[in-house]
Amino acid sequence: MAKREIPEINAGSMADIAFLLLIFFLVTTTMEKDTAYVRKIPKKLELPQTDPIEKRNICDIAANNENQLLFRGIPMEDPDLISDKVLEFYQMNENLTKAQTIAALKNPGYKGSNFPFYSFTSKEEIEENVLTSETQLAEVENTPGVEEDVIEFKLKQLDEWLAKQKAAESYGKNILPEIHFQAHIRVEVMAETEYELFTKIQSEVEEAIYELRDFAAKDIFGESYGIIKKREAMDKTDKAGDKRKLKLLEVLYPARIIEVKPN
Amino acid sequence: MSKFRKGGGREVPGVNTSSLPDIVFMLLFFFMVATTTKESDPTVKVERPVGLKATDMTPYKQRSEIDFLYLGEPRNPSRAAEFKLGYALFLDNVLQPAAGELYNTNAISRWKKDKFESKPPRMKEKIENVITCVKADKSAPTILIFDIRDQLEKIDALTVAYAVEDNGVF
Repeated sequence: MAKREIPEINAGSMADIAFLLLIFFLVTTTMEKDTAYVRKIPKKLELPQTDPIEKRNICDIAANNENQLLFRGIPMEDPDLISDKVLEFYQMNENLTKAQTIAALKNPGYKGSNFPFYSFTSKEEIEENVLTSETQLAEVENTPGVEEDVIEFKLKQLDEWLAKQKAAESYGKNILPEIHFQAHIRVEVMAETEYELFTKIQSEVEEAIYELRDFAAKDIFGESYGIIKKREAMDKTDKAGDKRKLKLLEVLYPARIIEVKPN
Repeated sequence: MSKFRKGGGREVPGVNTSSLPDIVFMLLFFFMVATTTKESDPTVKVERPVGLKATDMTPYKQRSEIDFLYLGEPRNPSRAAEFKLGYALFLDNVLQPAAGELYNTNAISRWKKDKFESKPPRMKEKIENVITCVKADKSAPTILIFDIRDQLEKIDALTVAYAVEDNGVF
């Protein structure tokens, strides 16, 4: 008997099988990414009366049922202009010094008097505020029969000051410039305003804030905001300290957006 | 040996295709890894509006910190009359009325709560940080978005995201 040889397995059809699988995945793949604007719904808090909000601190963007726009009370044809206007809202009084700000506040004829002013808080003042909010919180917590909402509000205030403290540290300078704490963007739509216009407003606002932060990021860290953000999302260990950087940018240019429910 | 030479004409050697499967497998693996499968095919029509500088939701998806809901006109037009303003919600393969009407008042909050509670504890974030991403049709009236927000507010799910198509992100 001759020695039997084991026949080799024919691998010629392997390629066909692999191709079949490949084509299946090619067809079922959607490369489309999910992108969205993330917003926080404010928590309802019952609080004793707080200060009224000054008109200059409101950046009001309204849209009606016919999808027409009103920016701070002035009709606007082109929604693409919103981002420029929001930029103006943030930047109008940004470059004033402390003395100029005080003078401008007294002068009703000043061109930027309808825009929010900046405050200049020194590290020592922040420190002080952290301490006072801590004592206030402790006080409230120890008062019997106090409402939960009040405690939560005080807690929030303390958090804000702590965030500012951190931001001031990473900013490096002694004075932290900051837009007025009341300054906010208000999106007011009507019941039948289309979702498309609503997201267009969100898009424009986002663009403006992105630009502001990008400018600051290049100025302070020499990097673009987009790069910092992307790296922060990718790198879990946070080697470059990106979390801290983003926090600072958020304190410098807060995105306070209020969406008002149509009635 | 001389036996073979007799034919005279030289034969072109065949191309060695044994590495072809390897190449194809490589491609295959690339697509397998790069693929994200759609959770479901919504039975409502959703045409996304376009926007800029939107946040990429992929990291949240990977950490499963996000729930999607669809808002649009039902694909089956005969059902449109069942819903307020003709728009329906699509939550996990079920059509729901968009607003708190008809037979189910708290569809969204119930859905969201169920989803949250069925998660394993190690994956649990605070409910206020779990994103609810609304994928709404371009021409959906915004009142419906705010109805959804109201329902989310009730159960303290305080993070909402408005889906758009951002061609700048890749």
